[in-house]
Amino acid sequence: MAEGGGWQPPRPCEAYRAEWELCSSAGHFLRHYYVHGERPACEQWRRDLDSCREWEERRSAEAQQSLRESEQARVRAARKHGLVWAPRQSPPADWHLPLPQDNDR
Amino acid sequence: MNAARAPLRGSSCSSNTSGARSSRSGWLRGSHSKGSSPASSPTTRSASLCSCRRWRQIVLCQNNICNQAHMNRVVTHELVHAFDHCRAHVDWFTNVRHLACSEVRAANLSGDCSLLNEIFRLHFGLKRHHQTCVRDRAIRSILAVRNISKEVAQKAVDEVFESCFNDHEPFGRIPHNKTYARYAHRDFQNRDRYYSNI
Repeated sequence: MAEGGGWQPPRPCEAYRAEWELCSSAGHFLRHYYVHGERPACEQWRRDLDSCREWEERRSAEAQQSLRESEQARVRAARKHGLVWAPRQSPPADWHLPLPQDNDR
Repeated sequence: MNAARAPLRGSSCSSNTSGARSSRSGWLRGSHSKGSSPASSPTTRSASLCSCRRWRQIVLCQNNICNQAHMNRVVTHELVHAFDHCRAHVDWFTNVRHLACSEVRAANLSGDCSLLNEIFRLHFGLKRHHQTCVRDRAIRSILAVRNISKEVAQKAVDEVFESCFNDHEPFGRIPHNKTYARYAHRDFQNRDRYYSNI
């Protein structure tokens, strides 16, 4: 039985479709090869799109689990590299203040 | 750093800056700034030697930026530094690794190293050439502001490259063009739904 409580896919199904189409495009292939030296992997976007549609139609627990695991894997992949610097809790207090008048040179 | 280019007239420079703020990355950066404190717009100055980020301002070269696309890249580049200053304790002056990381990110995310721009510079390469360009431009940027040897700058870039090259904040991806930037902005607007449902 799928989890209730108002759960919805992390992204609209339209977003999964758009990401899959972008990933599959020739332009993206070229850019990905230029940046990473390999072809892009687009199959997961297609699986997520299918899962999203299955959730929308049948509220499938398997589809829900598949989407959550897929997105959790994306978040882990984005965060797997350690940070060079310590993050702030808030921006510097003075970052938005007017500039001193003697900075003009 | 002094480029032999025709100077922009004052009115053209102002309109180009306005165009940069409304460009693919400008409004996304503005959204992230508003999330923490009121956004401040970049200050446009004329006749500077180089484009750089000084304390609480971005300085653009009126005599060194010759078209809208170049303006967009320069503003994006400097806004990456400003973003890093706001989100992390970056020691710009005594930690060359911190500086190297921000320069890697700025070269990576600004469009400086796009395939077309590299071809215009007569730097030909395809497979993973983007990374070569990012490394080279980061080293050049460090050497422009630090009195250190090229070997020291190169070592700093090598040490931080894997982490900083893959840090795509605030975009979540490399914004190659308007489509990628639009998708990044869509993800930003959707962030509450995203993180509450994974």
